[in-house]
Amino acid sequence: MLMLRPSMLASFVWLGCLTAAFSIAVLLWFLWDNAWLFFQQFGIQTLWLDEWYPYENLYGFLPAITGTAWALLIALLIAIPCGLAAAIVSSEIVSSTWQAWIRLSMEVLAGIPSVVYGLIGLWLLLPLLQSQLNLLTGHSLLAAGLILSLMILPTIMLMAQDALQGVAPEQREAAKLLGLNWNQQLLRILLPQAWPGIRSGILLAVGRGLGETMAVMLVVGSLDRMPQPFYNILEPAQTLTSRIGREMGEAAFGSLHFSALMACGLILAIVAVFFSFSAQKMRPST
Amino acid sequence: MLKTILMSSILLLGSTLHANEYIHVVGSTTVLPVVSQAATLYHQQHPDIIITVSGGGSGVGIASVIQGTAQIGMASRNTTAEEQAKLEGKVDNIVIAADAVAVAVSKAVYASGVHALSVGQIADIYRGNIRNWKEVGGLDARIVVIDKEASRGTRHVFAEAILGDKHARAKGASIISGSNNEEQAIISRSNAAIGMLSNAWLNDKVRGIAIIVDGKLISPTIEHVRDHSYPLARGLHVLLPKHAPQAAQKFVQFLLAKQGQTIVQEVGYLPVH
Repeated sequence: MLMLRPSMLASFVWLGCLTAAFSIAVLLWFLWDNAWLFFQQFGIQTLWLDEWYPYENLYGFLPAITGTAWALLIALLIAIPCGLAAAIVSSEIVSSTWQAWIRLSMEVLAGIPSVVYGLIGLWLLLPLLQSQLNLLTGHSLLAAGLILSLMILPTIMLMAQDALQGVAPEQREAAKLLGLNWNQQLLRILLPQAWPGIRSGILLAVGRGLGETMAVMLVVGSLDRMPQPFYNILEPAQTLTSRIGREMGEAAFGSLHFSALMACGLILAIVAVFFSFSAQKMRPST
Repeated sequence: MLKTILMSSILLLGSTLHANEYIHVVGSTTVLPVVSQAATLYHQQHPDIIITVSGGGSGVGIASVIQGTAQIGMASRNTTAEEQAKLEGKVDNIVIAADAVAVAVSKAVYASGVHALSVGQIADIYRGNIRNWKEVGGLDARIVVIDKEASRGTRHVFAEAILGDKHARAKGASIISGSNNEEQAIISRSNAAIGMLSNAWLNDKVRGIAIIVDGKLISPTIEHVRDHSYPLARGLHVLLPKHAPQAAQKFVQFLLAKQGQTIVQEVGYLPVH
């Protein structure tokens, strides 16, 4: 058995921590450094232009940003209620055996590679959407949102379940002693007490949803054009990640096109960092 | 004792690593079936040479050779001026086969009577001026217009011949696809799709239609590629850096030799030798 002096352990911990911080800094610096060429030439206003034709030097970000926002919004609208409901059922209603099974299935769901979700979308979801909603091919922001919702569900559910189980037993007992019925217990005591944990889960899920590439790329249609009208989620569209995935291979390192794709990455990274920081900030300090 | 075992195993590992030579081939999914079949055969004959083949499209193949991440690139189009400037003098561009880019439609469209279109009609479909199959004598259904990623070789050839410029916009596009595989899947699943596909990828559900040139119907066949009458013909290239390892050069020679050219024919392309 290896014996560690406390000071050695502390230095290992510090080393690990600094490595993590260093990689994040390098990553952001790399993105910024490569995207800089693009912003230098086109400025920040290109984010609001809606035409993306790299060969014509037109780099409008609006369609992909809109697509990313819609896909994420749809995913959250579905995954938050479902995840929360699953967490409540598993932590408050069913027996501990069932609870373990539900948890296990969620963990399995979280471990499936994203390309598998993409293929499920391609072979099951798209034909279904095509026939049921009478769409051209089924490729759409709706399809991307539905697949994403399945992918972020485990994060939301597992975090919410942990948060609910973390509510102090005294609080539950007090609620029962006051004669509160189940609805009141849930809405007045459990959910408010667990809310910080639930919120962190949602914010983590946002990060995952923003960055997902493979599954989205397979079902979104990759058509780099503003949805007409802008709330049309039933037509093929484009997201930032899917654009990077489709075009990165061809863009020569150091070219303007490459730099523009790095700018897409930078935007995603900044938004993700912003959400992560909010998740940290909103966590209770105790 | 432990040390000896450790040392010898490291030596053994080192020697096996040394014996095998790896060649990585990247690029066009049109050229890919030929190269991957040839690679399998070549590996059987030369077990110490391991060839990995992956897709990504012509643009990716050319970029990989420029950046040195692959030993051999595959492209189903000519290089652009910009790419050529980077390749000039450093990379040999070798044509291993010829092929037709077919204008492919879903089976249902073909069955409803669309067997041929003029260049103008196809252009109008891709520009968004014709939106329903009924306007060109087919069934009453909105046309699913499949465009390809801008870097793809098939798109360059198609856009140049149909729309007049290899980077032309296709305003009528309703969806963007990547590899031949992906495009074939979308067309075969749809009842109203049109797309661009190498003629070797046509099948019962994905039908190639003829192109009307000066009043004559020219179908996308190898014969029409051979007599230069088909307007969407192209060469299939491999890109071999001049400083490429011996094994890579030998493999390209294999592609051009009898066995390689037989595979070209079997896949459905026109051999060059």
